[in-house]
Amino acid sequence: MSLTVDPGADAVEAMVPSVDVAPETQPVGWRHRHLLDVDGLSTSDLELVMRTTDAMREVLARPIAKVPALRGRQVTILFYEASTRTRVSFEVAAKNLSADVVNIAAATSSVTKGESLVDTVRTVEALGAHMLVMRHSVSGAPYLAAETFGGSVLNGGDGWHAHPTQALLDLYTMRERLGGSVAGRKIVILGDLLHSRVARSNIWTLTAAGADLWLCGPATLVRGFEAWAGRGAAAGRRFHVTTDVDEALRDADVVMALRIQRERMASGLLPSMREYAARYGLTRARLARAKPGALVMHPGPMNEGVEIAAEVAAGAQSVITEQVTNGVAVRMALLYLLAGTHGTDLAAGA
Amino acid sequence: MSGRQIMTADEIRRATTRLSHEIVEKQAGTAGLMLIGIQRRGVPLARRIAASIKEHEGVEVPVGALDITFYRDDLSLVAQQPIVKGTELPMGIDGRTIILVDDVLFTGRTIRAAMDALVDFGRPQAIRLAVLVDRGHRELPIRADHVGKNVPTSREESVRVHLEEMDGSDGVEIERLPADVGTAASAGEPVR
Amino acid sequence: MTDLEVSRAWIVDPASDREGPGEIVVRDGILEALTWLSGADATGVTADGVVIAPGFTDLHSHLREPGNEDAETVATGLAAAGHGGFTTVCAMPNTTPALDEPGVLATIRGAAAASGSPVTLLAIGAVTAGRAGDRLAALGELADAGVVGFSDDGSPVRSATILRAALAYAGALGLPIIDHPEDSSLTEGAEAHDGFISTVLGLHGWPVAAEAAAVGRDLAVLGDVVRDEPSARLHLTHLSTGEALDLVRRARSAGLPVTCDVTPHHLALTDEWVAGARRWAWDASGDPWADDALVASPFATTTRVNPPLRAPEDAAACLAALLDGTADAIATDHAPHTDVDKAVEYGLAANGISGIETALGLVLAAVDAGHLPLLRAVRALTIGPARVLGPRAPRSAGFEIGAPADLVVFDRSDRWTVTADSLLSKGKNSPLLGMALAGRVLFTIAGGRLAYEEPGV
Repeated sequence: MSLTVDPGADAVEAMVPSVDVAPETQPVGWRHRHLLDVDGLSTSDLELVMRTTDAMREVLARPIAKVPALRGRQVTILFYEASTRTRVSFEVAAKNLSADVVNIAAATSSVTKGESLVDTVRTVEALGAHMLVMRHSVSGAPYLAAETFGGSVLNGGDGWHAHPTQALLDLYTMRERLGGSVAGRKIVILGDLLHSRVARSNIWTLTAAGADLWLCGPATLVRGFEAWAGRGAAAGRRFHVTTDVDEALRDADVVMALRIQRERMASGLLPSMREYAARYGLTRARLARAKPGALVMHPGPMNEGVEIAAEVAAGAQSVITEQVTNGVAVRMALLYLLAGTHGTDLAAGA
Repeated sequence: MSGRQIMTADEIRRATTRLSHEIVEKQAGTAGLMLIGIQRRGVPLARRIAASIKEHEGVEVPVGALDITFYRDDLSLVAQQPIVKGTELPMGIDGRTIILVDDVLFTGRTIRAAMDALVDFGRPQAIRLAVLVDRGHRELPIRADHVGKNVPTSREESVRVHLEEMDGSDGVEIERLPADVGTAASAGEPVR
Repeated sequence: MTDLEVSRAWIVDPASDREGPGEIVVRDGILEALTWLSGADATGVTADGVVIAPGFTDLHSHLREPGNEDAETVATGLAAAGHGGFTTVCAMPNTTPALDEPGVLATIRGAAAASGSPVTLLAIGAVTAGRAGDRLAALGELADAGVVGFSDDGSPVRSATILRAALAYAGALGLPIIDHPEDSSLTEGAEAHDGFISTVLGLHGWPVAAEAAAVGRDLAVLGDVVRDEPSARLHLTHLSTGEALDLVRRARSAGLPVTCDVTPHHLALTDEWVAGARRWAWDASGDPWADDALVASPFATTTRVNPPLRAPEDAAACLAALLDGTADAIATDHAPHTDVDKAVEYGLAANGISGIETALGLVLAAVDAGHLPLLRAVRALTIGPARVLGPRAPRSAGFEIGAPADLVVFDRSDRWTVTADSLLSKGKNSPLLGMALAGRVLFTIAGGRLAYEEPGV
């Protein structure tokens, strides 16, 4: 993404408000107090996130990769699920914006023992948190937090439901590598869709961005998505679902492999990891069915040798490490945009 | 233009030329100079000044762009003006004399933010300020070294600079703001 | 004892299959007169204003006492019942301890007497000891003590052999087995109806098969039992799927002694509500994202119930079942919960909707939308449940001149807002909080005494 100021590029710049233009003629900025899911983001919201991420990437490239935008703000990171990479990514993002960061790795909440989620959120707020970044193993938990918390809640992943920052960084990475747009590109998400919040959020963002989206996995793990695809077609947001990995990968521009967890074997959904790897693993041979130079992505952490071959993960087509860098920039962008709402909801036309 | 015009295209051109001479004069030459325009309209102004210097000195002074969005002291403006335009500096700023260029100098907060930003990029030898219009009402102890035109204004007024590169034509106008400009977040003029 | 005169109201009398303008006179608690109006006297009286119906009977309510008095007590439950227009309430046995022997029944009856409420409290005994599913509870003793049926509700009768024995034993006692049909192996960890909404929201699906398989099993067992014990009776409670209702429809036409009920929330709400929509089932498309129908936050735990809110087709099937008589009754499955049990993550929240006070409003919404005639709706709340109870129904469920009055007076033109304060139940767990419902109850008279009176009327 070019950051050069070029007076000739002002067709885009003309949409951008200048500080000396009267407020009432400026286009609407970010109006969401929380970011809990991506299904409520408009196309202009998505564009805004992409452009703000560009700016944050520029900040990350500086000798001192820090700006004072969130100085004096306390960002509390509350993770009920173990995760190093995402938690650290948020922490780095918040610190790069000069926020004060509090990190809480809570044990999984239970009603009968320990503190309830509502009580934890109240405590966190009483300790001065302005923003709450949350990850939880139960779908919908951040909505409960958002009801209780006076500031902004940023969903770092909830159950199977949503992972908004992952989908946004995935979209950013793809757009950057595909010439600025994913419209019309064949993008394949391969793996355990049923349990994947990454997949669900990517479905929303990629269909909104006009991609030719394909979901592929074993029959037991794509259950229900066919019905979703059918409705998407009616609503103008179509995507394809298949169990045929060859059909899915043929001429793809992007292949995103999802992590397969051992628990799926225990719950009777898959015979074995070996069988999964043999039938759906992204090997070099399978990747060759995609377009030459097709991007290889993975939200991490990877089971090398299972859903993705080690050589593919480390290969020339892999943008997995870019996803991580872009992840910090995207999270900086979102923290910045949410902080601007000061925890109030501007959506009601205030 | 909907307000009262206070500078024509010709007046802007003459002021820009004069600023370019003043800058070189103060520096006793062009060595070590870098012009950094503050987004948005400071940037084409900086380019124009650089072009003028090239014309009369035959030297190309480097030009950069600085976005101070992340250095503002008021986050409530994010909702209205969230889009950042980008910072690009053609080279390091250590030891250089930086001329910050902006279109209108008002409260001085933008310049303070710009200096905060610059300091994160390196250690210049000196920082000076050139503006097209100084409209008074400083809230911080900041002054411009080079001023195109001094325009006394009241706080209820707004000064708008139009530049051909962005707005299609050149001109500066002054307009009285309506008593109620809508949301609480937009009361008064944004940070300058 | 109450005196009440209501003139120029719309009277609905399912016992005589008649509705129209009329007036009633209650003196000293006795229904002295019910007069149908005609001609000039009847002009201007429509079904859109004040309506008088026989008091409603709820076949399925959880009063939580003994053991969970934080969520509800017999006293608050009966007060809520009165507010909802119910004059007879059947309490389910999943209390602590379970209602599996007469001693617990005495406790509950004592609480009812102490509350002073005129609403009749009937008890449903457990099928198995402790509702644990292993061996039969003291069915005979419970029958002697006056229970009106047996159920392990909260849970299904897990073992087919136990169900078979229970059907026969209870049949000989003249009482029905009321089963909560759920195949638990298919619902482990389940959170919401298995369909488009649960897929998008990433919630564990609650498959239709879990209800259909259990109903199939129950009907097969009933078929066997009836051959040897023709008095055996099965009542399936809170059926929520078209598939299960179809199975019951076929079984009834084949002559099997099976009855069933549907809940108001399964008639009027759908799984769209879990996603944040707030439109009635008959207005739902099944894809609230496409229609921009999301007006509330998703994952509201007030939408979590067993069986779950289903797809619009299933709600339509519940209405169709009421219309063709497959479903005899509407039962509320009133399930109050404390805030503690509901103000948690969706997957951890207790199942249940506090619904006895909003039942009439939901049913009237279907009537107002033209999907259910008023007379049939009232029948499903009065005659229908009485038929299921059979000989142990406390009264005729119609208007009996000369007997203690048992009726509800409500105003269809008046709306009331469901709030924590306006609900008399301790359970504020209703997805309708903040919404306005038509059909404000003005008076509920049970056994000649006021069970509810709207303030300021």
